[in-house]
Amino acid sequence: MKQVEEFLIGPWASPELFSWNLQVFIMGCLVCICCALIGTFVCLRRMALLGDAISHGILPGIVLAYIFTGSLSLLPMWTGACLAGLACGVSIQWLHTQTPLKEDAAMGLTFTAFFAAGMVLLGLNAENIHLDTACILYGEIGLIPLEPDWVILGTNLGNQSLWSMGLICFFTLLCTLVFYKFLLVTSFDLSLAKSLGIPVNIVQYGLMLLLALVVVASFEAVGVILVLAMMILPPTSMSFLCDRLPMVLWYCLPLSMLYSLGGIYLAYGLNFPISASIALTAVVIFVPCCLLGPKGGVFSGIVQSKIGKNMGR
Amino acid sequence: MVASNRFFKLGAILTAWGLIAGNPLQASTGSTAAKIDWASKTVEFLSFGDPSMQVIVFGVVLIGLNCGLMGGYIVTRRLAMFGDTLSHAVLPGIAVGYSLSQAKNNWSLMLGATLSGFAGVWIISLLTRHTKIKMDSAMGIILSGFYALGICLISYLQKSSGGGMANLENYLFGSLVGLSQDDLFPILLCLGLVISAFVFLSKELLVTGFDPGYAKSIGLPVGLLEFSLSALLAFCIVSSLQIIGVVLVTALLIIPAASASLITAKMSRLLLLSGILGAVSGFIGCFVSFLKAGLPAGPVITLCSAFIFLALLFLHPARGIIPLWIRTLRRSQKIRLENTLKACYQVLEDSSFKQDSFPQTLLSKRRRKSDGEMEGEINALVRHGYATRVVSPSEGHSPLPSETRIALTPSGWEVACRIIRNHRLWELYLTQEASYAPDHVHDDAEKIEHLIGEKTIRQLERILSNPRLDPHGKLIPSQADIDRGLSHTNFPLTEP
Amino acid sequence: MKPPLLLPLEIHDLTVAYQRKPVLYGIDLEVEEGSLVGIIGPNGAGKSTLLKTVMGMMKPEDGFVKIFGEKNRRSLSRVGYVPQKENIDWDFPVTAMDVVLMGRIGHTGWWKRFSKRDRSFASECLEQMNMLPYADRQIGNLSGGQQQRVFLARALAQQSDLYLMDEPFAGVDSVTERAIIDLLKQLRNQGKTILVVHHDLSTASQYFDYLALLNFRLIAYGPSNTVFNHELLQKTYGGKLTVLSEVGEKKVVGSKPESKLL
Repeated sequence: MKQVEEFLIGPWASPELFSWNLQVFIMGCLVCICCALIGTFVCLRRMALLGDAISHGILPGIVLAYIFTGSLSLLPMWTGACLAGLACGVSIQWLHTQTPLKEDAAMGLTFTAFFAAGMVLLGLNAENIHLDTACILYGEIGLIPLEPDWVILGTNLGNQSLWSMGLICFFTLLCTLVFYKFLLVTSFDLSLAKSLGIPVNIVQYGLMLLLALVVVASFEAVGVILVLAMMILPPTSMSFLCDRLPMVLWYCLPLSMLYSLGGIYLAYGLNFPISASIALTAVVIFVPCCLLGPKGGVFSGIVQSKIGKNMGR
Repeated sequence: MVASNRFFKLGAILTAWGLIAGNPLQASTGSTAAKIDWASKTVEFLSFGDPSMQVIVFGVVLIGLNCGLMGGYIVTRRLAMFGDTLSHAVLPGIAVGYSLSQAKNNWSLMLGATLSGFAGVWIISLLTRHTKIKMDSAMGIILSGFYALGICLISYLQKSSGGGMANLENYLFGSLVGLSQDDLFPILLCLGLVISAFVFLSKELLVTGFDPGYAKSIGLPVGLLEFSLSALLAFCIVSSLQIIGVVLVTALLIIPAASASLITAKMSRLLLLSGILGAVSGFIGCFVSFLKAGLPAGPVITLCSAFIFLALLFLHPARGIIPLWIRTLRRSQKIRLENTLKACYQVLEDSSFKQDSFPQTLLSKRRRKSDGEMEGEINALVRHGYATRVVSPSEGHSPLPSETRIALTPSGWEVACRIIRNHRLWELYLTQEASYAPDHVHDDAEKIEHLIGEKTIRQLERILSNPRLDPHGKLIPSQADIDRGLSHTNFPLTEP
Repeated sequence: MKPPLLLPLEIHDLTVAYQRKPVLYGIDLEVEEGSLVGIIGPNGAGKSTLLKTVMGMMKPEDGFVKIFGEKNRRSLSRVGYVPQKENIDWDFPVTAMDVVLMGRIGHTGWWKRFSKRDRSFASECLEQMNMLPYADRQIGNLSGGQQQRVFLARALAQQSDLYLMDEPFAGVDSVTERAIIDLLKQLRNQGKTILVVHHDLSTASQYFDYLALLNFRLIAYGPSNTVFNHELLQKTYGGKLTVLSEVGEKKVVGSKPESKLL
């Protein structure tokens, strides 16, 4: 028991550790909330793999932003990433509507070509960039507290990464709330959307843009592949527990906190990289939801009938 | 601190993707721009003098062939992103295989990777079959979930085993440098298996891919075939990972096959072409990567295959976008010519073919264009040999200016008659057989007259029993009329 | 005779292609207000395509569609479309009430929440289709007939003037069938215009006041008892006009590939 207690207190034991891990925790929450919100609609629209594609497609945008501005500061990077992401999405759309290619082939072709272009651009500018392939695989979220602080007008606001992620999170929340009806109807029934005069194409491209933004803001923390995990696992887990879309979206908040906490503990206990730990926590939470969740879980039928039998007696 | 932070960040960017694909074939030589002697480098490359280069090029070409062939099949079955999912799902297996073998033992790594891939595929099918999770979400879950597991395992093993993980990173990220002949064996084996499968099982694979329900009903072991194909795909991916990295394996699986699908719809041709394009992309990619120091081979190969795709998409003589566009332009030119000729016929018909030539002004009126606009059209007619200008001299000292008259040549006459015949025959068909409203018939015939072929004309003449008059009572020129040529004496006057 | 401007639906010379094959060729149709029209024809005759083109989901090669005198979908908000059920994802986390409320979006601003009035009206629509007890059920947990009734309730909630329904009677139980017929007649009596793609010849002339016989071309349109005769039905179901469809294909192939709906 004492060991468990020690383990639970471990990451928060000293003031430095506490402050450090608190920042990591908050960052994790912000990233997870963002990704979960946008991921819900991505999954409902069966765009999960498009999300994967766009996540890879933003690379050339980032590299070009770096080449043109010479800095890795946030605004040029985000702009480059969004533009590249949108270009990727638009190309995929064009390819599978205007050529004989099917959607999956268009996706695979576009994102790998974009990604390769980014890599080549990087290679051509290798003189300016040193690649340290050895310091790898550890999620950078663990190093977020190292980020400099934002200083605006002489006031120190605090950690830059946290602030920027917080802004993105707020923006995503805002978009979700304001455009909820649009998103709902276009995801559920395109024909109704068109008859209501909703600009279906704009909603789709807007979603792609937001996706690119969330990815570029999050990847420093959790990496591109794991962003995908944070987008897909929350809504799918919650779909076994809730019947209605607003509920699925609301539950993303506590779920994100759970993920982040789990990530910190896994990393603390087993020395896994934090980003991967968060994703692993998400998988671990997914399994019981999928198997036992009341709304469509694999064994929920059996569980419910057993409960019914007991209640019937 | 700031500078190193920046570099660290970029390193982080790439590792966050965890997919740096392919160290450059040659280390970057640094800042000073030495003049690159393209010619000598080309010769150096093509002479294949360097044995290590030989292995590399051979390996890459083999991979291109392998992935191209495999890709042909998965693209036609709309499993393109499946390859991507599988490429990421093999990671835990690689980690475990490596740690169990304690050395860079290819076969244990490959076994582990293949098993891991299988587990991923199996879980995807479980999820899609027994829950409400859709296919794309299931694939995304496996892709990222397994990848996360893999990363965790790797970092754990890295700590416990101490050094020696460098080879593992090469496996993930791809590295052409130091490729030995032994490394080529798995690829050759895979290639052999793929080719045998496609040669001996082509019919079975075709049916299973196209209509699994039917395949089962005729007794084909659908489950076994699907399983074998997944196995082959996993093997193909795993054997190529070491050389070109994860993301770019997906590229080689998809892009050559996509290019091939633009050109042919026949499965055997598609597979062959896809394999060839894969091999060619590999070769060219290697070459370009060799030319410019510092370019990583994998991405260059990908871009090569992407360029080939774009070239085929835009320039393919039969189906390319640009030739199609040119053909459309030419067709509109042809339509314009034919419309002018039609108007000529109608002008002649108005005067009941009493004269061989007619004044230009009448034509302008018919076409509802100004004389200036007509100049261009008439020039086109003359250029194609369909008409000639006849300038009739003014009578004596008449104050009237000399009038330009136009006469049709025999070939022009033939085209004019054909168009008129098409138009009027079609109008008759629409009115009689298809219950078209009379006032709609003309617009439709305006478009169809240029498109209808001789075979259809014969059909129509048969269906309508060789009619002489159209719904408006005008003459429909028959072949005999066309052959007879121009003269009012030959033609019956139209009924008023 | 009403002036053409007030016609709920006017289709002129409509030619529509699907994957480079013409599906509809030169369709002319004028539907007057308050008509209950059944569209019948063999499979692949273009019936669903016609509705989709009217809704603007497919682009015609030729010709145009006018809804209440306006082209370019300006009056589309007055149209209620009940599609075939295959296109719906039944696992979507929405309840019956959620679906019906979607029909009210045209009447609420998109940035506002649904008002109490919206909710009570939606309840009324559900009530009318006998679905109020199921208001909080996720749509995947409803039977086929119940699902159909939810979508009809949604169409009611839209308070449209022109309704387009694609095979609403397909695969429903007799209770639902009765409910649908009653609804159709009620809408017609309210002066709404309804076009229904129908698959069952035996009930066509009984359910609908007007019939449109469609097979690639509009073979006939008029009051049921006039149009529903042996000769015209033979023409409709008796096979395609092969020359027409071949030539139509040439006309379509000449143009660019159409873009699919997003």
